[in-house]
Amino acid sequence: MSNISLILKQFSRSVLLIAGFAILGFSARAQGDAAKGEGIFKANCTACHKLDQKMTGPALGPVITADTDDKWLTKWIQNNKALIAAGDAKAVKVYNDNQQGNMTVFATLSDGDVANVLAYVRTEYKAMQEKAKAAPATAAAADSGPSNLVIFGLIAVIVIAFIVILLLNKVIGTLERLLLNKKGLAVEEVEVDDKAAARKAEFKKLLKNKKLVGFFIVCAVICGGSWQWVTLWNTNVHTGYQPVQPIKFPHDLHAGVMKIECQYCHAGAFKSKNATIPSLNVCMNCHKSVDRRMDASAPSTEIAKIYTALGYDPATTKYDSTKAKPVQWIRIHNLPDLAYFNHSQHTKVGGLKCQTCHGPVETMQEVYQYSPLTMKWCIQCHKRTEVNYKGNAYYDNMIQVHDKIKRGEKVTAAALGGIECGKCHY
Amino acid sequence: MESNKKYWKGLEELNNSPEFVELNKHEFAEPIPIEEILSGTGLMNKTPRRNFLKALGFGVGAVSLAACEKVPVHKSIPYLIKPEEVTPGIANYYTSSYDGHAILVKTREGRPIKIEGNPNDVLSKGGVSASAQASVLDLYDANRLQNPMLKGSSSSWDAVDSFVKSELAAIKAGGKKIRLVTSTVNSPSTLAVIADFVAAYPTAKHINYDAVSYTGIIQANQNSFGKAVLPHYRFDNADVIVSFGADFLGSWISGEEFTRQYVSNRNAKSLEAKKMSRHIQFESGMSLTGSNADVRIPVKPSEEGIAIISLYNAITGTTLPGSQKLSNNASAEKSIMIAAQELKAAKGKALVVAGSNDIATQTLVNAINVELASYGSTIDLDNPSKKYAGNDSEIKELVADMKAGSVDAVFFLDANPAYDYFGAKEFTDALAKVRLKVSFSDRGANGEVTTIGDETSSLCTVIAPNHNYLEQWGDSNIIEGYYTVIQPAINPVYNTRQAEQSLLIWIDAPVKEYYTYVKNNWEKTLLAKGGLAGQAGWETLLQTGFVKVADKAAVSYSLIAKDLAAVANTINTQAAKLVTKGDDQVELQVYANSVIGDGKKANNPWLQELPEPVSKVTWENFAAIAPKFGEKLGYKEGDVIKITSPNGYSVSLPVLFQPGQAQGTVSVAVGYGRTLAGPVGNGVGQNAFPFLTASNGTLQSSSVATIAKTGEISILAQTQTHHSYEGRTVIQETTFEKYKKDASSGNRSEREHKVYSLWDEYERPQYNWVMAIDLNACTGCGACVVACNAENNVPVVGKDEVRRRREMHWIRIDRYYSFNEDGGAVTKEKEIGALQKDTAHMDNMDNVSVVYQPMLCQHCDHAPCETVCPVLATVHSSEGLNHMAYNRCIGTRYCANNCPYKVRRFNWFNYWNDSRFDNYLNNEHTQLVLNPDVVTRFRGVMEKCSMCIQRIQAGKLKAKIEKRPLKDGDVKVACQQTCSANAIVFGNMNDPESEVAKALKSERTYYVLEELNVQPGIGYQVKVRNTKEVQA
Repeated sequence: MSNISLILKQFSRSVLLIAGFAILGFSARAQGDAAKGEGIFKANCTACHKLDQKMTGPALGPVITADTDDKWLTKWIQNNKALIAAGDAKAVKVYNDNQQGNMTVFATLSDGDVANVLAYVRTEYKAMQEKAKAAPATAAAADSGPSNLVIFGLIAVIVIAFIVILLLNKVIGTLERLLLNKKGLAVEEVEVDDKAAARKAEFKKLLKNKKLVGFFIVCAVICGGSWQWVTLWNTNVHTGYQPVQPIKFPHDLHAGVMKIECQYCHAGAFKSKNATIPSLNVCMNCHKSVDRRMDASAPSTEIAKIYTALGYDPATTKYDSTKAKPVQWIRIHNLPDLAYFNHSQHTKVGGLKCQTCHGPVETMQEVYQYSPLTMKWCIQCHKRTEVNYKGNAYYDNMIQVHDKIKRGEKVTAAALGGIECGKCHY
Repeated sequence: MESNKKYWKGLEELNNSPEFVELNKHEFAEPIPIEEILSGTGLMNKTPRRNFLKALGFGVGAVSLAACEKVPVHKSIPYLIKPEEVTPGIANYYTSSYDGHAILVKTREGRPIKIEGNPNDVLSKGGVSASAQASVLDLYDANRLQNPMLKGSSSSWDAVDSFVKSELAAIKAGGKKIRLVTSTVNSPSTLAVIADFVAAYPTAKHINYDAVSYTGIIQANQNSFGKAVLPHYRFDNADVIVSFGADFLGSWISGEEFTRQYVSNRNAKSLEAKKMSRHIQFESGMSLTGSNADVRIPVKPSEEGIAIISLYNAITGTTLPGSQKLSNNASAEKSIMIAAQELKAAKGKALVVAGSNDIATQTLVNAINVELASYGSTIDLDNPSKKYAGNDSEIKELVADMKAGSVDAVFFLDANPAYDYFGAKEFTDALAKVRLKVSFSDRGANGEVTTIGDETSSLCTVIAPNHNYLEQWGDSNIIEGYYTVIQPAINPVYNTRQAEQSLLIWIDAPVKEYYTYVKNNWEKTLLAKGGLAGQAGWETLLQTGFVKVADKAAVSYSLIAKDLAAVANTINTQAAKLVTKGDDQVELQVYANSVIGDGKKANNPWLQELPEPVSKVTWENFAAIAPKFGEKLGYKEGDVIKITSPNGYSVSLPVLFQPGQAQGTVSVAVGYGRTLAGPVGNGVGQNAFPFLTASNGTLQSSSVATIAKTGEISILAQTQTHHSYEGRTVIQETTFEKYKKDASSGNRSEREHKVYSLWDEYERPQYNWVMAIDLNACTGCGACVVACNAENNVPVVGKDEVRRRREMHWIRIDRYYSFNEDGGAVTKEKEIGALQKDTAHMDNMDNVSVVYQPMLCQHCDHAPCETVCPVLATVHSSEGLNHMAYNRCIGTRYCANNCPYKVRRFNWFNYWNDSRFDNYLNNEHTQLVLNPDVVTRFRGVMEKCSMCIQRIQAGKLKAKIEKRPLKDGDVKVACQQTCSANAIVFGNMNDPESEVAKALKSERTYYVLEELNVQPGIGYQVKVRNTKEVQA
């Protein structure tokens, strides 16, 4: 009996052991390494998925938390197309539920990688939910911040207090004077009057000094004249013009921090006379998935303006063209109609950098007019800038170019007729 | 440099009338009232000191306030979702088709702004007519109907559809007739839709109705050869052309195509090969074609048939019964004999055409052409033209049926019989009896003055406005085997719908979308003809624009009915009917000019302001009479006369003295006098369609009418003498005989002279843009003028301003008359002076020859305008161009005064932003046609031809981006591009291989007013006339 019980014991122990190991193993597998998973998730998944929100693909947090069939999930992630093609009922359902959108095949991800990702998703989503539960309290607290009424009230109180202080000061001064008068100390005041009279006389003397007066008049005329000159000279020159735009688009973030090429958005700059303001579908290339700053907790209201303009609903990822309304930007660089300007001539042919005329846009939070855009400014540049003729067969036959090179002179735009009226005015 | 021939633009110039001399002394027709102000009370008026101070104070304040203005807020609105093919600032081109010609539509940011020729077009090889150039403006016509109309009020398509369908169902049950009246349809898809419609409603019938009809030719071909078709004429194969009143370079059948064909035997290339066709024209009114003829003989309409009989007799050596001599017209009689000889000599390469719509006349012309072996060579009956297929008897029958009450429904597509049917009154009365009247016309309501529909559609129950052709799908087949496609270049602007689609919906067709219908139709039948198939084939078609089946071999034909006695008889009777009795009776000839045509485009201001090529009259029609005849009747130019037809219709029109007009005749153009065309076309001229007469089964253009003076005077808005050279010689010409002996004959260029210059020579190191214009190729049609309008945003100024000599066209076609004397012995200026003393020269007025000269800024190297500009607004460039900086101009107008060519134009108004020009271009919608690469000029500045500098710059930029040198032909200016005759060549003189450099090396090249040593940049090539030493 003891033997049997021993055997049983041993058996059960081994079973338990195995089971325990198995459970351990399984749980280890299921948990994966969330830290490793985060890297993989951000590298591969964020283009289409968010944890708590639907993007191109469904919100992964709830889906993966709810679905515990990790084997199936691994298969799906590694090759969803094969699953669908094989007619797996669940796969087909997921496929159809998500408007038959094609998910990228991640054949390079090992089982371990996938497990890490799943672990990350689950833990991160859980953390998010807990945060969200805590959040309403803080949000409520944040909401009870000073309202406008309170601010105005405060200002009013301060102003009234200031007036009261002034009044009180005056009263105190009067009272002091009364006190002094009573004590018969007004003699000092007479002394003060004498001093003032002396100063007056001195001033009158100065006024009679014709040279001095003349000097001041000349100074005044020079200052006034030059001020007027500068004002008139710069009439209609709008350097620094920085209108308020309908969307606060930060160029410093996009061009500066993110280092997005100017042409990505201003696609016409190298092809056309117009640099073109990007159409909103260009914005949506990124902003379909980016709806806030990295550190922000709530979606950006500015980015939301893109969605509103397009009639796009981020929750359903659907466009409603009936609600679409174009964004009315305010032009910053206003060349008059009588001047023809072609971007591609300057960028593509001339090889100029955008910053030459538009200034350090990559540091501007809101864009302003950097250059004066006057004809003098154009002509100065045309006179100084050497033509970018190397490697361009167009300039090969230009006798003048050859002659100048022989003589060692600079071949400027002006030398090729670049400051003739008809180059820009027609 | 003195020419031995006198050229004159108008009678007032020839006669040097005191008024004319006075007018030409001044730069502007109306003197500026400066002297009045100076001498009158203007400046002498005492301004009280207080008023002066008030004005000063206000002025200073206002200026300061204005200077304080902040940056003007300009909105910049990008696409929401940008179409992939659109890059703002870059033009897209789409193939399409206009009037059967393959064209390209230039669009910017999705709106069509210019029509350009498709260089592969089989008919005109990239040439585009004036009306095609102007057609883009029709798209932006603010007078287009914006919604369908049901019983006179704005409605919806659903309501219209259900109404028409229920009506049609009821009519079908009733079994009465349904008629579809269209101007000739040659579109295969439209014909298929109509066939479907007829199948659905078996009582329906399609009637082709052409306002200007070619029934005569079609029926004559039926009678002569058993083929009721309009032949495809081949002027390029003809060495001798004799035309009886056929304006084949202008309005007759296919002017652009014929121009290309005709000029190919007369241009520089042909001349160098010592080959030039000969062209003899017999006609009553001076047509564009007649003015280009080598020999032009005025004949009255009544003499035309007799002349054709004489020609037949002379060629065949037979005598048709009833033949008579042209007893009153000796020169015509003589010319007929010469023409007959020449035609016989050129047998197989000869062509006789007649403009008449009389079946008998055309049958006889067919007989002549058979005799000359023209069929198979100069006339192609096997690949016929499908441009016109109307039968005059069908519309007549329709009117009778409507009157009888047997028609229950009638549809009008691109047809307006209430205006252009000769019996318009009878037609409208009969129309009232029809139950369902539907029009597809797009004329309609606009602004404060609300008019609905055109002359016909305003009488209709339903108006289902059709798309403009730039908004629609479609196709056309103008010549057998040549199929072009029409594709939309813009979304429909208004709530209009394609007429074919409406018909498909009304018959509940399985395919209701017309695009699908057209595509299916092509995939089924037409693509295969071009060796294309399927979706790929369709896409190829949309890129090439057409398919062309190889021509069938054109064979020769012989007459079915050899006996021409009956034909001759009919012609003689017809001629007898036109004989006038008494002084107040005249032979009236009604014609279509090449600008307005049948009047369907009367609401197009570009066309209305384009001077009619021969008379140079804008904005109206007129009564053209011979100067001698007019003087005999005691008329002066501008006198308004009343013309009354035998059936009582009358119009009052101003008289124009037209040299070359046959004595005793009056010519009046149709296409004017629209009452419901729109604000531009309404009330422009008088309607001449009712003067047509129905006889022998067709509509005839000649009749007898009475004329009487009304006592009123109306000054014609005629541009011909606006820009005077004060009698300096600007035209040089020679005869072909002399040319063959010496290629430089007639060219009195004095290049050998030593010239001295006050100025340094300009350096033109890279480019020297110049132009060569071949006077022998230019027919004077005026397409270049409209092309220039469209390309350079040239404003329309209207009739009143044209009368004040303020037209803005950058390029004008000068038309010069000169006298022919027997043997071409040309008149010396002194002799003309002698002639002026008596009226003898009035006899010579019958016998004038015409030269056309396109005149535009010559871009002189020593430009007189540049030296007088006080602000250097017009300066020379290093590329040989004369630049004009509008924003620098202060409007002294010294330049215009000093320009010997008179090509500078002054902006008297802000034409784009002035309520006085609301009818033309000052409305938001029409302004969308503006070329965004060219600025619109402000009031008070000068403007002139820039040689399309925007195109030069664009061409250079393209080459730079592609990193290659600029090639000859990369830059084409607008006037050059549209010219079917290739009369204008533009390019870089510094490139010895360029086409223009070669053209300017020709012995025929001369420069206008060369003796002034302004060194113009445009060379003209001497006009060559194929007159024989002893001419008719």
